[in-house]
Amino acid sequence: MGTDKNRYIWLGIGAVIFLLYPLIFTLPFPRHLMIMIFLYATLGLAWNMIGGYAGQISLGHTLFFGIGAYTSTLLLMKLWVSPWVGMLAGGAISIGVSLIIGYPCFKLAGHYFAIATIAIAEIAQVWMLNWDWAGAAVGLTLPLLPESLINLEFHSSKAPYYYIAFGLLILALLATFWIDRSKLGYYFKAIKGDLEAARSLGIHVTKYKFYALALSAFFTSICGSFYAQYVLFIDPDSVFPLMLSIIPCLIATLGGVGTIWGPVIGSFILIPISEFTRIYLGGGGKGTDLILYGLLIIIISVYQPFGLIGLIRRLRKKEAA
Amino acid sequence: MLTSEIIWQTILSGLLMGCIYALVAIGLCLIWGLMEIVNFAHGEFLMLAMFTSFWGFSLFHLDPLLSLPFCMIVLFLIGVATYYIIIKKIIKAPFLAQILSTFGLGIFLRYLAQFMFSPDFRTIKNPILSGNVYLGGISIGIPQLVASLVCIATFIFLYWFINRTEVGFALLATSEDREAASLMGINSDKMFALGWGMGAACLGVAGALMSNFYYIFPEVGFNFALIAYVAVALGGFGSIVGSFVAGIIIGQVEFVSGLLLAPSFKYAFVFLIYLLVVFIRPQGLWGRY
Amino acid sequence: MALLEVKELTKNFGGLMANDHIDLQVNEGEIVGLIGPNGAGKTTLFNCIAGFYPASGGKVFFKGEDITGLLSNEVCLKGIARTFQIVRVFKDLPVLDNIMVGAFNRTHSAAHARKKALEVLEFCGLMGKKNMLAGGLTIANKKRLEVAKAFATGPTLLMLDEAMAGLNQTETAEAVELVKKIRKSGVTVLLVEHVMEVVMPISNRVVVLDYGRKIAEDAPERVINNDEVIKAYLGDKYHASRRAH
Repeated sequence: MGTDKNRYIWLGIGAVIFLLYPLIFTLPFPRHLMIMIFLYATLGLAWNMIGGYAGQISLGHTLFFGIGAYTSTLLLMKLWVSPWVGMLAGGAISIGVSLIIGYPCFKLAGHYFAIATIAIAEIAQVWMLNWDWAGAAVGLTLPLLPESLINLEFHSSKAPYYYIAFGLLILALLATFWIDRSKLGYYFKAIKGDLEAARSLGIHVTKYKFYALALSAFFTSICGSFYAQYVLFIDPDSVFPLMLSIIPCLIATLGGVGTIWGPVIGSFILIPISEFTRIYLGGGGKGTDLILYGLLIIIISVYQPFGLIGLIRRLRKKEAA
Repeated sequence: MLTSEIIWQTILSGLLMGCIYALVAIGLCLIWGLMEIVNFAHGEFLMLAMFTSFWGFSLFHLDPLLSLPFCMIVLFLIGVATYYIIIKKIIKAPFLAQILSTFGLGIFLRYLAQFMFSPDFRTIKNPILSGNVYLGGISIGIPQLVASLVCIATFIFLYWFINRTEVGFALLATSEDREAASLMGINSDKMFALGWGMGAACLGVAGALMSNFYYIFPEVGFNFALIAYVAVALGGFGSIVGSFVAGIIIGQVEFVSGLLLAPSFKYAFVFLIYLLVVFIRPQGLWGRY
Repeated sequence: MALLEVKELTKNFGGLMANDHIDLQVNEGEIVGLIGPNGAGKTTLFNCIAGFYPASGGKVFFKGEDITGLLSNEVCLKGIARTFQIVRVFKDLPVLDNIMVGAFNRTHSAAHARKKALEVLEFCGLMGKKNMLAGGLTIANKKRLEVAKAFATGPTLLMLDEAMAGLNQTETAEAVELVKKIRKSGVTVLLVEHVMEVVMPISNRVVVLDYGRKIAEDAPERVINNDEVIKAYLGDKYHASRRAH
């Protein structure tokens, strides 16, 4: 992709554009759209760490999203703890949970692992639906606090939310960047490529699967906390649904699993499509936009399983040859 | 108040429903055991079967009992079509693609049904099979009774087919070792298509039977699919007998736990069984590996 | 003290005794060949030593330390690397990355791993394929990469499982040169081979297995004249006819 200097110039231009975006687009909807794009891109990057790099297909990541959302919200509502601290607490709990479920789950192969992750997330959802102290099915409505950074609540404008979401995305990108170049990344890819071969080269497979899952859980959890502060209402249906596990996975696949920019590209394509089809087709509760979703998932997985980045690389190779 | 009648009623209902779960599970097991691909659209196939039966009744006044063969054939064709259009292309694809493709199919079918048929719950009124028989203080629904008998019969037929006929042996051989089977002249492509067709046909039978007494709506398949996955895992990968028995066991667990605990916990319990099985005894009760 | 010492190693698979109380020693700096007819238990022995699966009985000592029962990644950390009979390269990764995975065994730093990997790349003659995806290599180069990845882990003992199978004459000669180079660099080699023209010239000692048991252990030129060995490979008929003249 050209020299390093070119790459930094493009990144710089991109950063400037995104920083200026809320100043140009001052209406709520464009800002909301971009916030959603950033949020899903971050979720996609998080899923990518365990699913794309390490090759362990988890379809239960909504578990960590929900843990993040509920932890920060409950800490806020019961103990008046700042959501930022709550965010970190949620992240820590998610890491802890990932260690507990990782231990038995990592012994499972392929499909069994995927279904187990779905099972765990569903059990969590049912639990939350019945846990009265945490709001049960009614959910939790966050208290309206004075607008401030510490409270992580803003009422007069979406712009601060925009910049925070952008910040989280940058954080996840930096983490992915670091993973990609480090021993972790190489070991993850080896585990994905051939587990026994990886082991025979000295890799403690289970330990590295844990690392991947813990990192992935942490970033997913942070997104959950952010979401709670953004929407100011959470319930088991909104933060523990199966689709929330599938969409980041789909985004990463569309853009290119196991790559740094894949989930970001995927989000920039999929989320606008999804938002616009929901507005123009999905209204009326018929879920027509989901028909398109389903079709898109089929087409991507059958024809372009390596995503857009995979396609671009293949085309480049043909040019070079 | 838990009287012995209520307990027996629950157990019996669980047993009858379990037979249906069993057939649904067998359909999944056929495909999973044959080519190690999980059909995440399994529930939606069942839903299509139920709707086929429903529209047969609404539009052509065809009783579900009579349209059963028709449902079976329609689903068989859907299964074969799914194989040739989607599955064949992803046999060599990365694992993620395999999971997502049938998942996407499921979502596509579910929301297409919702769009075309609306999310409303439908029922078939007064089919041939309706009413109850009474045994002591326990009422047995005739549709459920017939349904479970037909499911058992189907299971026996499938068992015979797979273990006693040449085509059945070919299926078994293909699932054991694709290449060795092809060296013996077995066309694995046709075997896979047959497997998908038969797996879907099981759902055709189950769906037609259920349309007699169950609500018919686009999301109906989801829960049955979940139970099917658990049943196949519990019964053991690749074992039809295992899936059948497991289906019945799960029917029992679901109904009894619904009675003893809160109904909303039913599915969480079923999932818990799945986790316990794969963590403690990964090969299931009758498993191959 | 021997570098690798295998004592009475036994491996059962259900009713099948794949390895039957095998004793084996490899001294530092040697190249030891392990031969025997198909099904003799050579790969099984490798797998037990390398921790791919646990042995049913017996012990394995490496540098005097008991490593019986350790998992394959632990064994690799101790200094034993192995290749697989059917190559297991990471086909979606470039050749350099494949080797780097091995190199990370001795370092946490990506820069160090890359440096070491480039050295190994050069050493094994794969420099020209540095950025090619491993899946696109020829069989000969895949086998070479298989050796390179294992070599990059910085082993004291390298176990090669049929690294020359399926190669033509030129490729085989190149592979033999590589093995010699590896020994010269200070790594001890234990290799399983079927190709006699390869094993005999380069091995210091040859160990012969048949039906899970060790039937001979000697210098190459004496092993080929050993009656038991001939019988194992060619059967009684030939043995008897040899005796005749």
